[in-house]
Amino acid sequence: MGSLRNVGVVGLFGYTILFFTFIYLPIVLIVAYSFNADPINMMNWSGFTFDWYRQIFGLKNTVSENALYIESTEQLLNALRNSLTVAAFTTTIATVLGTATALALYRFNFLGKKFYRVLLFAPMLMPDIVLGIALLIFFVGAGVSLGLKTIIAGQCSFLVSYVFIVVSARLAGMDRSLENASADLGADEWTTFRRIILPQAMPGVIGGALLAFIISMDDLVITYFISGVDTQTLPIFIFGMLRRGIKPEINAIATLMLLFSFAVASLGLYFRSRRG
Amino acid sequence: MGEHIVQLERATKAFALPEGGTITALHGIDLDVERNEFLTLLGPSGCGKTTLLHAISGFVQLDAGKVRIDGDDVTERPPHRRPVNTVFQNYALFPHMSVGSNVGYALDIARTDRKERNQRVGSALELVGLGGLENRLPRQLSGGQQQRVALARAIIARPKLLLLDEPLSALDRNLRQAMQIELKTLQAELGISFIFVTHDQEEALTMSDRLAVLNKGLIQQIDTPRTVYDRPTNAFVASFIGASNLFEGTVRRSSASTTVATADGLQIEAACAGGWKPGDGAAATALIRPEQFALAGAGATGPTIEIAIEQVVFTGLTFQIHGHTASGRKIVAIIAAIRRADVAQAEKDGKVRLGYDPAAVHLLPDDAPAANEAVAGVAA
Ligand SMILES: Nc1ncnc2c1ncn2[C@@H]1O[C@H](COP(=O)(O)OP(=O)(O)OP(=O)(O)O)[C@@H](O)[C@H]1O
Ligand SMILES: [Mg+2]
Repeated sequence: MGSLRNVGVVGLFGYTILFFTFIYLPIVLIVAYSFNADPINMMNWSGFTFDWYRQIFGLKNTVSENALYIESTEQLLNALRNSLTVAAFTTTIATVLGTATALALYRFNFLGKKFYRVLLFAPMLMPDIVLGIALLIFFVGAGVSLGLKTIIAGQCSFLVSYVFIVVSARLAGMDRSLENASADLGADEWTTFRRIILPQAMPGVIGGALLAFIISMDDLVITYFISGVDTQTLPIFIFGMLRRGIKPEINAIATLMLLFSFAVASLGLYFRSRRG
Repeated sequence: MGEHIVQLERATKAFALPEGGTITALHGIDLDVERNEFLTLLGPSGCGKTTLLHAISGFVQLDAGKVRIDGDDVTERPPHRRPVNTVFQNYALFPHMSVGSNVGYALDIARTDRKERNQRVGSALELVGLGGLENRLPRQLSGGQQQRVALARAIIARPKLLLLDEPLSALDRNLRQAMQIELKTLQAELGISFIFVTHDQEEALTMSDRLAVLNKGLIQQIDTPRTVYDRPTNAFVASFIGASNLFEGTVRRSSASTTVATADGLQIEAACAGGWKPGDGAAATALIRPEQFALAGAGATGPTIEIAIEQVVFTGLTFQIHGHTASGRKIVAIIAAIRRADVAQAEKDGKVRLGYDPAAVHLLPDDAPAANEAVAGVAA
């Protein structure tokens, strides 16, 4: 009996190790090999170097020209700039619209409210490819030239849903009697909104904004369809690099993006813990 | 300006239930609350106490009827424009604000001068025994402390009328008694009218000027605590307030005496001095409070009931004797502790003869609950 139990415990332990190895090993390898000096074979460790990072930032390095993919750091920085611009706009727009929608659905009852809610969930469930193609056809049909503007508009169409859901979840946990208490103490509806509802919804709003920002920075499939030929975002740029073979700079870029995501997520957690 | 701070006229409210149908929480209630009065609402859970308070504060829109506060018809007025403050049953403290900001909220809304505001927040917290806790968050307080913050928040604007929905329920006995005294003092000092909901009978009896007993959306009786206790208008009130022995039966009336004959063969004598005087053959319920029984000695002259003793509970001041008559009817008697020796003897005998004074027997119109419910009040 006891030994059977031990086998179970060891088995579970082994399974757990395997599970996390499977998830995290590739990521650990990417980070490790971003410091690998070997320019040709990524899997062959031949010394420690910062060269790939230097290369990304256009600093002097010892890598021979033909070992490199990035022809100009300019290209990379341009893609990054595009991504940040798009993310800044989409985050702002999606946060404002998503929050407003969530508040409206929380506050008011109107005909078709349930249906409206379902409509807001739909973009999250729709396959990216379908949404991408649909947006492309729409923009082309409407005669809008593809570029940053279409990326922003297209991403907003589903980011609003994410923000809406995060803020709604926050509002759903809110105590309605607090509004009564506020009115009881003499506050009109606007004051109650400003001093009671909004501050409590704030962690949800910030969480929704961070989520929208990360998804926007990360989105490949939909953005790929609606970006046009000249406009590259960071994910599209990296995807393009991959098609010409996996080069060491990719490890460095991936590591930097990982760091950035961690920073954003930590910020989110920090706000969460602070505003309860 | 009328003499009443609150007047409800045929206040009616029904809620739609999600599973269909409606539930009537207020059944056409008429209620006048005097200026400076301490009125307590008492009643079983779900009888409409909170709904009644919310009708006054404006969170419940009446289906029919009127609410007047201080002579003004406020039936259509939104809550924030009614001169009323509330201590909510679930406290409803603002979780993102400090205790100080919670308490000062009404003053901030009214744009009270900063210095005066801080000083009043300080003294309100002092009053509820939470001085110096201004900077805590509500979730860093115990349940009882939160309840007192809710109290401080509701009184700080010195409303004409304070509605309190079980404001002391989370406090321990000592603190509760201290707060009861504070509330009474406050009410007298500020000249505020209180409408106070409680589940605690002792609290209701000791604090109130008047007591309203509610059941199923209707006021069963509204009167001074003494009258409600001594002369309940029906069996519901009798069994809800205090412990009671109820004997439902038929009135036998002669020139010499009035008795209630129960189906199981008991004859309860009643003097019918004051109160209801039913005619011969009427259905009536006789009420005998447990403390009105006495141990009947050998030479007892008045009416008596013999019971078999089931249990004797010593509470310090009294003995509670639980027993039943020959027909199985449950009886509770409360005997003063000085009769220690006699109680011990009765306990040894396993039976006892209880005497009562017909003058203390109160007759109620017959709408008595089932006999075994009649003594349910004792446990409370
Ligand atoms: N918003 C509502 N929707 C539907 N039914 C309600 C609503 N509010 C109250 N009720 C119902 O109305 C009745 C009276 O409720 P109320 O809250 O006034 O009771 P209460 O006397 O305060 O009870 P308690 O002592 O448990 O607080 C209950 O049956 C309750 O279920
Ligand atoms: Mg209630």
